[in-house]
Amino acid sequence: MSLAVVEGGSYYHHETINAPRFRGRFDHAFYAPDLAEGDLDGFAAVMVADRVSPTVLRAKRRLFLRYLREGGTLIVLGENQAHTWAPGVEWTFRPTNFWWWLDKGTDPGHRIANPDHEIFRHVSQRSVVWHFHGLLHPPPGAIPLVTIAPEMGGGPHGTLLYDHPGVAGGKGRLVVTTLDPFYHNGSHFMPMATAFLGGLLDWTDATFRR
Amino acid sequence: MIDALLLDCEQTEGGVNFLMKSVDLGSRLDVVPLYELGGVDLAAYRGLLIGLHADQRYLRARKAQLEAFLKGGGTIVFCGHVAYPFLDELVPYRAIPDYTVADLEVVRIADHPVWEGVDPAHLTFRRGVAGFYGRGANPPPPGARVIHALGPGRHPVDFEARPAAGGRLLVHAGADLWGYVDSNTSAARMAPQLLDWIAAEEETR
Repeated sequence: MSLAVVEGGSYYHHETINAPRFRGRFDHAFYAPDLAEGDLDGFAAVMVADRVSPTVLRAKRRLFLRYLREGGTLIVLGENQAHTWAPGVEWTFRPTNFWWWLDKGTDPGHRIANPDHEIFRHVSQRSVVWHFHGLLHPPPGAIPLVTIAPEMGGGPHGTLLYDHPGVAGGKGRLVVTTLDPFYHNGSHFMPMATAFLGGLLDWTDATFRR
Repeated sequence: MIDALLLDCEQTEGGVNFLMKSVDLGSRLDVVPLYELGGVDLAAYRGLLIGLHADQRYLRARKAQLEAFLKGGGTIVFCGHVAYPFLDELVPYRAIPDYTVADLEVVRIADHPVWEGVDPAHLTFRRGVAGFYGRGANPPPPGARVIHALGPGRHPVDFEARPAAGGRLLVHAGADLWGYVDSNTSAARMAPQLLDWIAAEEETR
């Protein structure tokens, strides 16, 4: 049982994967442009780091879909335009409110939709509360995990993180988020993003690397 | 000749988007997807702008092309943290360990045309928050001119070097300098002055 990460050669991918904090949490790192037929076979889960070139990911789309068809778990992080290549993913743009936290006491709208979900045994609820890059709209069968309240601009079904077991009627599982923790952790600039990724990797350790 | 070629990394809400649509600045540069660099004749450009999101593994594979551009007198501007040195003058980034606000103060070491009239305080703070400009250094090569440093440790956050291959190299260890173009402070001067500085080299070639 093991976890692979797909990265894009940016400095924050290098830092997050290789620096001491998370070193050893990924069993193998694939450079996205070099991803080849059969590479993902045998991994219990595959994480696509945030901010990999969407053009490259679309070019490798068939490998990800085949991996899902074979029953794999694909975890896709933010700013990858997953709505252009991953099954069932719908997304709408929202201007990013990088500065929400400057107004003390502001409610940025985050809600934990399913607090009993296994991810929240590892990901702390407060570690998902930071700026976000647009909203996902989970399809039928997906489990919304973090949503933005309708009255805070989330509209119906506005979601930041969801889990879709049996995606597209098959054996695969797709976990998607709009959060981009590799970028912020690897830039040494947002402790909450580091906390979120740490929690997510605690979950992948417990679930896919036993 | 066109002043600059900017390598686009398909990221939204960055300086590229402002720059592309600016009548003044946008008309002075071309923008191509990063992975199309290999098919570009760089001789048509005075400068090459490489931003923080760039795939540095790809750039490292294009090292010969980048060096040929420098050899022809070109100017390369790199913003970001060096992870995969794609030129001989680049060394991996070093973050300031456990930085405090004092460590993040931008200190001017040398005047430079790109930062003329830019108040270092406008670089240190953005909406009262420190750290956007830089949190560490890409260690400069011997003979480089350090322009700004951070905090009492004087971590060099900006430098200009004359690469062995030729040309000029300007390095900023932080987010894209052209990302400040919509700022309502003196930091907005950096983007136009960067293009002016690239263009001015033509006269001295």
